[in-house]
Amino acid sequence: MTQTPFSTSVPHLAVGLSNIWKSFPGVIANAGVELRVESGTIHALLGEKGAGKSTLMNVLAGVYRPDQGDLKIHGHSHQFRNPSDALAAGIGMVHQEFRLIPSFSVAENVVLGSASSVLRTRQVQSEVSEIAERFGLKVDPSQPLWQLSMGERQKVEILKILWRDAQVLILDEPTTVLTPSEVDELGEILRKMADDGRSIIFISHKLHEVSGICDEATVLRQGKTVASSLSMESTDQSELAQLMVGTSASVATRPEPVTPGPPLLELRGLTALGDRGLEAFSNLTFQVNSAEIVGIAGVAGNGQRELADVIAGLRPSTAGSLLMGGAEITSASPQLRFKSGLAYIPADRLGVGLAPRLSITDNAILRVYRQQRRGPFILAERALSYCKDIVNRFGVRSGDLDGPIAALSGGNLQRLLVGRELDGQPSVVVASQPTRGLDVQGVKAIQELLIEQRNSGAAVIMISEDLDELLAIADRLLVMEGGVIRGEFDPRTASRHEVGMAMLSDGQVASQA
Amino acid sequence: MRRPRLSLREQPLPGGQPLAFAIGLLIALIVGTLLLLGAGHEPLKIYSRMFEASLGDPDAWAVTINRAIPLGLAGLAVAVAGSMGLWNIGAEGQIMAGAIAAAWVARIGDDWPSVVLITMMLIAALGGGGVLAIGPALARAKLGVNEIITTLMLNEVAIRLVQWLIHGPWKDPDSYNFPLAPMLPDQARLPTVFSRAHFGLFIAAAVIIMASVAVRYTAWGYELRIAGSSEATARYSGISLSKKILTVLVLSGAIAGLAGGVELTGTADRLTETLSNGFGFAGIIVAALALMRPSGVAVVALLFGAVQIGGQSIQTLGVSSSVSTILQAFVLFGAIGAGVFSRYRVLLDGESQSASKEVKQ
Repeated sequence: MTQTPFSTSVPHLAVGLSNIWKSFPGVIANAGVELRVESGTIHALLGEKGAGKSTLMNVLAGVYRPDQGDLKIHGHSHQFRNPSDALAAGIGMVHQEFRLIPSFSVAENVVLGSASSVLRTRQVQSEVSEIAERFGLKVDPSQPLWQLSMGERQKVEILKILWRDAQVLILDEPTTVLTPSEVDELGEILRKMADDGRSIIFISHKLHEVSGICDEATVLRQGKTVASSLSMESTDQSELAQLMVGTSASVATRPEPVTPGPPLLELRGLTALGDRGLEAFSNLTFQVNSAEIVGIAGVAGNGQRELADVIAGLRPSTAGSLLMGGAEITSASPQLRFKSGLAYIPADRLGVGLAPRLSITDNAILRVYRQQRRGPFILAERALSYCKDIVNRFGVRSGDLDGPIAALSGGNLQRLLVGRELDGQPSVVVASQPTRGLDVQGVKAIQELLIEQRNSGAAVIMISEDLDELLAIADRLLVMEGGVIRGEFDPRTASRHEVGMAMLSDGQVASQA
Repeated sequence: MRRPRLSLREQPLPGGQPLAFAIGLLIALIVGTLLLLGAGHEPLKIYSRMFEASLGDPDAWAVTINRAIPLGLAGLAVAVAGSMGLWNIGAEGQIMAGAIAAAWVARIGDDWPSVVLITMMLIAALGGGGVLAIGPALARAKLGVNEIITTLMLNEVAIRLVQWLIHGPWKDPDSYNFPLAPMLPDQARLPTVFSRAHFGLFIAAAVIIMASVAVRYTAWGYELRIAGSSEATARYSGISLSKKILTVLVLSGAIAGLAGGVELTGTADRLTETLSNGFGFAGIIVAALALMRPSGVAVVALLFGAVQIGGQSIQTLGVSSSVSTILQAFVLFGAIGAGVFSRYRVLLDGESQSASKEVKQ
């Protein structure tokens, strides 16, 4: 361990990350991130999904090794090889997925993985009780874990870290598993820990939750720090929201206003559950007309992904009905929906929309291979010429069409996917995050394709976290928050500020409750 | 200081797998040389014997081919399931189930003409292996029960079933109370093609070619590959996953069953409890080395058969059988290890992937 000469000048700085780079195949998750967290504070790390928050924190917690960058803990430079190195330096992380053993007691879970070979249950139990008492973490150390609620399990994870005497605690999206009253309780616990001189880094994409809890905030967007150590007291929430959703460099020109035609897609009281079995959205009622782009705005994780899945038929709805061109399709199969003219561009391109291990041709024919058969065989020449057609018409830059799809860049992947979906002249297009992660030309190309669909009479739903994009090309804007529509705007007249406030409205309701 | 570290390649190195196999052989040769020297043998003499016994002359080729036939079919069974991301660890038991079914046909049809009898035996073998796979297939398709565990457990059931049959109802009355099934009638034996290599060579080749074509060129195989690459994509395009899982696992079991039937009519005199001889487990390795591609199974099975036969042959030179097993293990170890590394590149600290074609700007 080397001590840098300047470290003493900022003795109260608990964590100093500078110029952190970390890339994964095809993605640069952190591109020169900066983060400074002071001792005794609760620091919010804000950003949308995919902004690089979890990657950065995994770097700090020793799970990932950065490609480049400097990491200082209390003024000392460190290079962590694994999470135990980080723990030894006083850094502990509570991951989104808990790492606990249901059949063990709380105390046993707390000591799990620590070096001591003999388990002194009594001693550990009293140590755990003492820490729990001090910070108001109400759990019984002798209780088996399977009896605990998710909120209590989270306390066990926090106890695990405190028992190892970590000075810096990282909580990755800690509120997703909590009820509102548990969120308040967590806030109190974190405050006690901060008053004890510890630092807490609170990862979140829900602004209203961190505003009551945190002292400072750092905002990441697309792998970079866009705002560093803002004071939560003096910063406007809508300003933070705008920082998170960002502004885009280039967008297609606004389409000429046209009179929308008849409704092609109608939602009537549609309700569905999320992955955890909680309601992702409820009682949604709206319609999308012919020759209209309806933008769905909102911070990620407010039901948009589930909404797209339900419309595409990949997730069942629990109540309400869905109509396409006047016909009920609430329980139709994805294939039937496609046949009746629904195109779906999923947010997860490689993994839902495309099969990553197959060739470009194989991926291009996903929607039409059933028509390219002779007997049991797929006609290779027809498949190839279909693929060539898509590649040429939609400007996919590719080498070998029999080569793996994963070799294409993000923009070309998306052109192929969008081209394939739009090829059959759909009447309804659902596009989920269609421009996320693309370069400038890619964004423009995809936006223009969607506008072209609208101009030729399709009903387009565009879900995006990029507010500027929606304001620029949508004909109508719906803001989704907490699984409901919080407002409807005319993008030609609405201001970013107004829409930004609608994205937060639940926060104000919750804080009053 | 710049430390080297590994970084995942976006695409595996082209031609990585044959190279990996060659590296595996090389590692095995080096380790084997040390091992043999340590045990006081002459490595060169041993190696030349291994080569002669497995690939030295037509007779040696025949022995190797006879070994490669069940290895190839078992490997194909695993690879067909593997094309869809499913693991059939039950080929060993399915081989036995296929052999039982074939042996049963031989019992009831011992006066049928040879071609009819053998054909019926092989069809029964397909059925036997398929039937053993139905349970795990249904459990996986309908309830999501992990097929690795269920197929693995059924191995034991099939082997015990053979033991019960040859100790009980199928015991040869002329065996002087030894637990032996009766010899197969002569017309139930597959003819030989050359030397001792039997007709199973053509059966295995035909089945491997058919399966490779089906997986690569048919709509059925296309759906299989989509589902194997990403289940979510399969659902997205309207492919029925549960139907697919069911048919693929049963087909995989049937192919393994066929391996049992071919082994019974081709090389065994009678149904024995050692008939499956580990082919089902070796098949997993064959399929893994072939990267779960049915078309790659034949070559790997032949090479693997040669390594096994060569390894056995050196026991007559006083080399312990465990040494040959260790050599086999190192071929695999090296090949699989090299296969993994071919997917990585070495970077120095500070260097980053050239992944930035599309920087998330």
